[in-house]
Amino acid sequence: MKLWRHYTVVGLFVVSCAGLVARVVYLNVTQREFLQQQGDARSIRFETLPAYRGVVYDRLGEPLAVSTPVVAVWTDPSLTQFDATTLRALTEVLDLDRVALERRLDAQAKREFMYVKRRVSWKKAEQLRALGLEGVFFQPEYRRYYPAGETTAHVIGVTDVDDVGLEGIELSFNDLLKGQHGRKMVLKDRRGNTVQDLEYLSAPQFGTDLTLSLDLRLQFFAYRELKAAVAGHRAVSASLVMLDVRTGEVLALVNLPSYNPNDLSNNHYQGMRNRAVTDAYEPGSTVKPFTVLAALESGRYRPSTLIDTNPGYFRVGRKLVKDTRNFGVISLSEVLQKSSQVGIARVALTLDERAVYDVLNRAGYGAYVGTGLPGESIGKLSDRGLGNPVMRTTLAYGYGLAVSPLQLARAYLSLATFGIRIPVSVVKQNDPPKGRRVFDADRVGEILDMMVGVTEAGGTAPKARVTGYRVAGKTGTSRKVGSAGYDDRRHVALFAGIVPATDPRIVMVVVVNEPQGKNIGGGTVAAPIFSRVAARTMRLLGVKPDSPVSPSV
Amino acid sequence: MSLVRFATWLLLLVLVVASGLQVARTSQEVRSLHVLREQAQREQDEHLAEYSRLLIERAALAAYQSVERTARDELGMSFPEDVERIEP
Repeated sequence: MKLWRHYTVVGLFVVSCAGLVARVVYLNVTQREFLQQQGDARSIRFETLPAYRGVVYDRLGEPLAVSTPVVAVWTDPSLTQFDATTLRALTEVLDLDRVALERRLDAQAKREFMYVKRRVSWKKAEQLRALGLEGVFFQPEYRRYYPAGETTAHVIGVTDVDDVGLEGIELSFNDLLKGQHGRKMVLKDRRGNTVQDLEYLSAPQFGTDLTLSLDLRLQFFAYRELKAAVAGHRAVSASLVMLDVRTGEVLALVNLPSYNPNDLSNNHYQGMRNRAVTDAYEPGSTVKPFTVLAALESGRYRPSTLIDTNPGYFRVGRKLVKDTRNFGVISLSEVLQKSSQVGIARVALTLDERAVYDVLNRAGYGAYVGTGLPGESIGKLSDRGLGNPVMRTTLAYGYGLAVSPLQLARAYLSLATFGIRIPVSVVKQNDPPKGRRVFDADRVGEILDMMVGVTEAGGTAPKARVTGYRVAGKTGTSRKVGSAGYDDRRHVALFAGIVPATDPRIVMVVVVNEPQGKNIGGGTVAAPIFSRVAARTMRLLGVKPDSPVSPSV
Repeated sequence: MSLVRFATWLLLLVLVVASGLQVARTSQEVRSLHVLREQAQREQDEHLAEYSRLLIERAALAAYQSVERTARDELGMSFPEDVERIEP
């Protein structure tokens, strides 16, 4: 018997068995972690569950930004080769160009992920799902709609294709609105189909809804009036800011040109700038009430104090200050009413060096408003060179400083509240704001009375009048700085007003940038817009008239 | 084999089988709950889609322009030219 053959076979078996056991032990014990990881990496995927972005409402509950669920249709070109039927179904349901889709698939053939189409409506996605196409996957996402469109575009802003805020409220309140994405762990097969949901790691948390202080009705009306005015005066741009005097809330904030936030495809980011917040203009005569306030604070002036403006022009250093005509000897009140440069300059030169600057500073010129709207301009207000009389006079009638329309509105708000500076907000406030007193109430009362004169006969802005209400306001026309100093042909027309003057409810600032034509002053361009918007606002808010109405009863 | 050891063995066997069945049942339950969850998720999405559609539709109907147009053209309303003050 040749036993060695038997033993050789047995021996080989034992050796190979031992080898296998050793291998099993090696893989299972030593290499276990590595192999497990590799296996998981090939089959386990984490999927994001998008959170529903919060709705933005106006103060009366009208929706301004609404997310709606849509579906992103995607595929894995490295694994899937669509056949003709699938392609036809895709192009038909998704309304795609077949050639373009094929070209895209070819170009991305090596990639593992390609969007066939994003933001597909729910209905169409269900249609596709029902067809059960191979290699076509669906991923939920949200798309944002802005029902008020271009009317509220600057305040609300927009989100990008991934629902992240890019502009306006969408940007500054992104963290609040976006909520928290959820995550789940899924098991996938070789072809990318989800075999099993393994674990829900976290459920998506919906974003918080946000109620703004805007009143959509006022916003609509302001937008329309501004649009008509910009077209009529062929202006470059225009802005309007309306504040609620009692709460400091922004009731309307409109800019032109605007854009359609629902369709940015053919928009080259024209008109996206929120000019009322980001652009600073020289305020011109709209600062004069503050100069007069500085004069009253000095104790040397009363509204009836007479100022000699003869002969209608006046030299400060090498600068010539000129009125439109010679007003002669007029009261301080009339200086404001007729917007006399000479009168204001004369008054300013008799005050302390820092007096006017100090009043402007307290009113909030040159300081952030802090509404949370992105890109806010701080404007410009400097106390450098106040020792120079030329600087002091120019400051007194509104040159050498710059304010955004929002800042100007905030400054007038401190007058409308009879001297209390309250925070300005674009979000609806539930509690009355805490302000701090910056001006004496009686003096501000005198200023308001003087400002009512501006819209009465003999003033610079009778066109700002609102039937039934006393309007306190001030016009402004400033020249823009061109390449060689002030440009005589490019102007900014402003009007800032408070209605009703007796018990103020709203402050409104209208700025028209570079109106064309003969009459481009604040009193002819900006004041009529103010009047129409204010009249409608008084009606909508149900404000009691404070002035006798023409006897038509 | 003593009786005690046999009884222990039998008990363990029963427990193992029972726990195995329980595992099967639980994973079945997990699966059906997942299905339910998926369904609920889909329903939620549907409702959200409907909700947002209705919100947008309401906004479109309540748009100031269309309200004004209806008031002016269909109902023949207009803003009063002269303001009248009526004292109670």
